[in-house]
Amino acid sequence: MAEIVLTLGVPHTPLLWNLTKPPVPDDLAGVVAEYGRFRTMLAEVRPDAVVLVATDHFRQLMTANMPAFLIGKAPQMRGTHPNEEREFGIPPVTLSGDPDLARLVLGHHELPTGFDFSFSDEPWLDHAFVVPLLYLTPDLDVPVVPIYTNCNAPPLPSARRFADLGGYLRATINGSALDRRVAVIASGHLAYELGGPRQFLGESPDGEFDEHAVSWMAQGDLDGAVAGCGFDRLNDAGNLTFQFLNFITALASAGAQPATHAAGIACRFGNEPFFAWKQNRT
Amino acid sequence: MSRYMVNKFLWEVESDNESLASFKHDPAGFVADWELGAATPQPPYPAGGSLTAAERQACIAVDYAALYSMGAHPYLLWHFIRAVLVPDPMTVAELSEALKRAIAPLDRPDFTT
Repeated sequence: MAEIVLTLGVPHTPLLWNLTKPPVPDDLAGVVAEYGRFRTMLAEVRPDAVVLVATDHFRQLMTANMPAFLIGKAPQMRGTHPNEEREFGIPPVTLSGDPDLARLVLGHHELPTGFDFSFSDEPWLDHAFVVPLLYLTPDLDVPVVPIYTNCNAPPLPSARRFADLGGYLRATINGSALDRRVAVIASGHLAYELGGPRQFLGESPDGEFDEHAVSWMAQGDLDGAVAGCGFDRLNDAGNLTFQFLNFITALASAGAQPATHAAGIACRFGNEPFFAWKQNRT
Repeated sequence: MSRYMVNKFLWEVESDNESLASFKHDPAGFVADWELGAATPQPPYPAGGSLTAAERQACIAVDYAALYSMGAHPYLLWHFIRAVLVPDPMTVAELSEALKRAIAPLDRPDFTT
């Protein structure tokens, strides 16, 4: 029987990868420590597969074709694009997929009535997927089912649909006949801006949003999160804050329970999000 | 005004090392070739595209204030100018400050794709 054994929400700021090599700068020590705690937490639940909910940053997908939600169902996939290697020093990687788990979520002959996913047989994962995996599964030995979410190219799916996605994952995976211990990992940002007037401030562009955001996760307040994440509010918090929506999927996939761990870790990039929902089952 | 074409241009330059080198070497020549490419489209996706005169000038001059005010996608714009202008003639920090100064008077243009 399949079950979601752990849900995590983590950052993927690509500049972290080079900057957190020893010696780690003081302001990033907290981020490294959080990643370490989450790596241990993940190893302890011995996952057979990771469902990774993240947003492609115009690396593979451009608006010639822009799906709202897309599942990668390939047995193997590339990670890291040449411009990410060039700009961020992130290594190219090869990752194993889990086509059976992808099929469970996507459907076989017909899409499930609950969700109309797009799909890819050749996903090429960008830093939003690869950076969390490099920190959390350094040996890259846990098969991955990537779910791309469009948080970058408006019109975006609404916050309600991100909640629906999480609820759908929970309902579909838990109790299915597939023999899998599944970790759901969402990758995103708190308030964050790039290519706008509030980039690189050395602190969050919207500390008030971050406080609300961490609180929604800590309290399991799914309705509050959905109500507080309309397009204009997220855009006001910073033009990349839309990727907080992936954490709404995480919260819903954990049954909208209060997070067992919820923090925004202050560093030069703002507040980096770390959310965890441990399940009580074994 | 063709926001998609501007975004496509920024994307194609930034995401391919060869295109980036070629654009840096000869911006006007690269743009001319890019627009010519759209005249002979190859499946599945046509290379290149067409720009208005103002867009063409902004792309050739790497005029980030103009591109920003046109509604170029902020993420694509930042990575384009970072790839083209860093490390020569400036650092990331210098470029960031220059960008923020240049777009400060411009409010927040709609970047809906």
